[in-house]
Amino acid sequence: MTDPHDQTGARRVFEILQEPDWFSGLSPREARLLDGGLAFHCLARPGERIRATVLRTDGPHLPSLTDHRTQRIEWADDRRVVGTIEAHATGTPVPTTGVVDVVLDLGGPPGSLMRLELPPGRVHAVRSVVRGRAPVVFDVLRQLRTDRLENRRLSRPIPRVGRADVTSAGSSRGSTKAVLFGLHWLELGGAEKWAAETIGMARAAGLFPIVVSDRPSGHPDIARPVFDDALVIPLTHPVPAEHESRVLSQLFERFDIRGVHVHHCTWLYQRLPWIRAQYPGTELVDSLHVLEWRTGGFVDIALRMSNVMDQHHVISPQLRDYLVDQQGLPREKVSLATLADLTVDPSGQRAEPVSTRKAGDPMTVAFVGRFTQQKRPYLFLRLAARLRARLGDRVRFIVHGDGELASEVRADHARLGLAGSVQLRGTDQPVAQTLDEADVLVISSDNEGVTLTSFEADAHGVLVVSSDVGSQASVVLPELLLPRAPLPFLRAAEDVLVSLCEDAERAAHLLVEQRGKVDAFADLPRARDWTRYLYERWAS
Amino acid sequence: MTTTNVAAVIVTYNRADKLGKVIEQVLAQDRPADQVIIVDNASTDGTADVLTAFEGRATVHIERLATNSGGAGGFAHGMAVAYERGADHVWIMDDDCYADPDALRELLDGHASAEASMGMRLPYACSVVRWTDGEICEMNNPEPTWDWGKLLVRGEHSVLVNSCSFVSVLFPRWALTQFGLPLAEYFIWFDDQEYTRRLTAAGPGVQVLRSTVTHDLGVNRGVNFGDVNDGNMWKFEYGVRNEASYRWHHEDPFAALRFAQRLHRGLAGGRVPWRLRRRLARKWLEGIRFDPKPAFPRTVL
Repeated sequence: MTDPHDQTGARRVFEILQEPDWFSGLSPREARLLDGGLAFHCLARPGERIRATVLRTDGPHLPSLTDHRTQRIEWADDRRVVGTIEAHATGTPVPTTGVVDVVLDLGGPPGSLMRLELPPGRVHAVRSVVRGRAPVVFDVLRQLRTDRLENRRLSRPIPRVGRADVTSAGSSRGSTKAVLFGLHWLELGGAEKWAAETIGMARAAGLFPIVVSDRPSGHPDIARPVFDDALVIPLTHPVPAEHESRVLSQLFERFDIRGVHVHHCTWLYQRLPWIRAQYPGTELVDSLHVLEWRTGGFVDIALRMSNVMDQHHVISPQLRDYLVDQQGLPREKVSLATLADLTVDPSGQRAEPVSTRKAGDPMTVAFVGRFTQQKRPYLFLRLAARLRARLGDRVRFIVHGDGELASEVRADHARLGLAGSVQLRGTDQPVAQTLDEADVLVISSDNEGVTLTSFEADAHGVLVVSSDVGSQASVVLPELLLPRAPLPFLRAAEDVLVSLCEDAERAAHLLVEQRGKVDAFADLPRARDWTRYLYERWAS
Repeated sequence: MTTTNVAAVIVTYNRADKLGKVIEQVLAQDRPADQVIIVDNASTDGTADVLTAFEGRATVHIERLATNSGGAGGFAHGMAVAYERGADHVWIMDDDCYADPDALRELLDGHASAEASMGMRLPYACSVVRWTDGEICEMNNPEPTWDWGKLLVRGEHSVLVNSCSFVSVLFPRWALTQFGLPLAEYFIWFDDQEYTRRLTAAGPGVQVLRSTVTHDLGVNRGVNFGDVNDGNMWKFEYGVRNEASYRWHHEDPFAALRFAQRLHRGLAGGRVPWRLRRRLARKWLEGIRFDPKPAFPRTVL
């Protein structure tokens, strides 16, 4: 078996003096988590030897790799010691004495983490019960609260960090040209899919990818080939304060970091003013996907940091309008470049926008997405129940996905008596197969940027009916956009789908119009082109 | 380098005789509009034939409304369409407005240099509107700000304004994002005043003196309540309701009362029959109850 270490960029910052036997027993995911943890501790303590005690568990526990717990040589009862390992930072003399002990907990298997439920506490327990038993009522209240928070948030100016006037050359640099990436986590998601793509593009441009993530996760995607040869540091918080600047400055001293590209990573956003002050020659950019109305999310963090940043890449016209028109950022600082071709090649083979449903065939309505509060699968199930009552066998449904609400989806499925009409499909089956069978895709989310599944659906000749959130209006026909509030959503969706079922001619006509709309969106600048140009400039 | 996408919006209703020239003048700009959106407010004359002749032109897009939504509704619709089609600037005008060949370029340049000079974003720029004899068109005189000459003394050929009419006005996209669309519910009259005043919350507008258009009205006369008669009463009714609503809800009740006093004086001065005065008084009262809210355009491209 190939040593997983050989496939990562971690060897650039530390060496393993003696590789232990147990090492080959780690899964590729665990080996890379361990690499990330060791890389962090070696960067934080250059010149010192790091002796790590490596733990794992079978329970639903997240890894602990860089936080203050790693410095305590005690652990919970359900952790098992995998083994110990010793590493030292490369390029620095190895002292004969002095070993720093750390404890690296690789956490539980990803399967157990997916079911990780809400944080402990009575309030969360009550909230969880209400959401499980009465999801629509819960959602009505949630959307009302969203409206209120949205109005309040928009009525207040967003504070901005001061401009950085530092023009000095900054501290010393390494020689390997590199990009520092900030990711939310290494898990499935539209933003992460794009982040992974950019990491590959950096490598193709001759830039060494350094990746930090800041969200607790088992990071199931860390073993993907795109992270081969990258230096990946999955941060676990709270990171000891004294280590933060040391790790970052070590990265800048060992590598020639030409640019920082932030993809939804709060920790890295908040350190951009320091990076700008210490390393003013480094370009700072981000990619923004979705405006979160309750908190502003990453978009508002980006606004706060905008004075020290060079460019904001946005994937939707809505975000461009928000940043430029609403928040007054200079137009030339905001680059709209879409992900229309991330999962679908518009110039490649696509199904003709012609309905394959023959007269008398049932209409197949699909839901594709993660089972999360944001995607609202429970609304889709209730819509299915209503349509079933109204149209009988003339309509069938597929719910394709998995996620933290999976048990609630299954319970709803049984409670609403949908066993005969709604087929549940897991993520082990290809989405393409579901879209091949579907006539209509329903997107019931309460927030989105632009859903990649909309492009995939169109490429399969599937009509998209969606809640009018984010930039969905950019790719969904106006007559197929639905209100966000749950009850009006259900009423409008029911009417739209009944009409599509009964008027196949109209559905066929809408499919042609939808293709025109998707093509108009695809004509906007592409994120791949924007990024390629940026990285080539950084690499030159 | 960013490029600016300008959409010209022309709203028309039963002006087949002038519309062709209006469109030709827009298409002949030395800085052409990237899109020319023509909103036909359900015309019943030969407008459809005029529009058919332009239908194949590359930048022309025609919106045919099922019912006449008035100038206010037409502009709101046309501006929303321009916004959805990704316009960075929207240049709007009536169907009897002939733009000089450099009107758009001068508007864009004047707006940009005024913004640079003021160090802030300015929500609109309007042209100088002439009547057919070359004199100033009385109906389309913008109201200047108290410091209207600020840019003039800096060598700019522009003056600062509080409001203007919808005869050759350029709106940057951000103004629509932040403030929404004109109030379609006004139907006709005072929609332009309400809208441009609404936008001045972000800063003054600017009249670019080098951008000129001709407004082909029958007579060169501004709005005067002494002119009310049975034939034009319908328009004045909208005007009184809309202005009363604006003064009451967006200024203060005293402003609405001052408007009532001005209305009364104008009607009395023109010896307008009492039955018409009573109808307008009812419209003033209706304005107090009438308070439509702006719609916002949807981002598509």
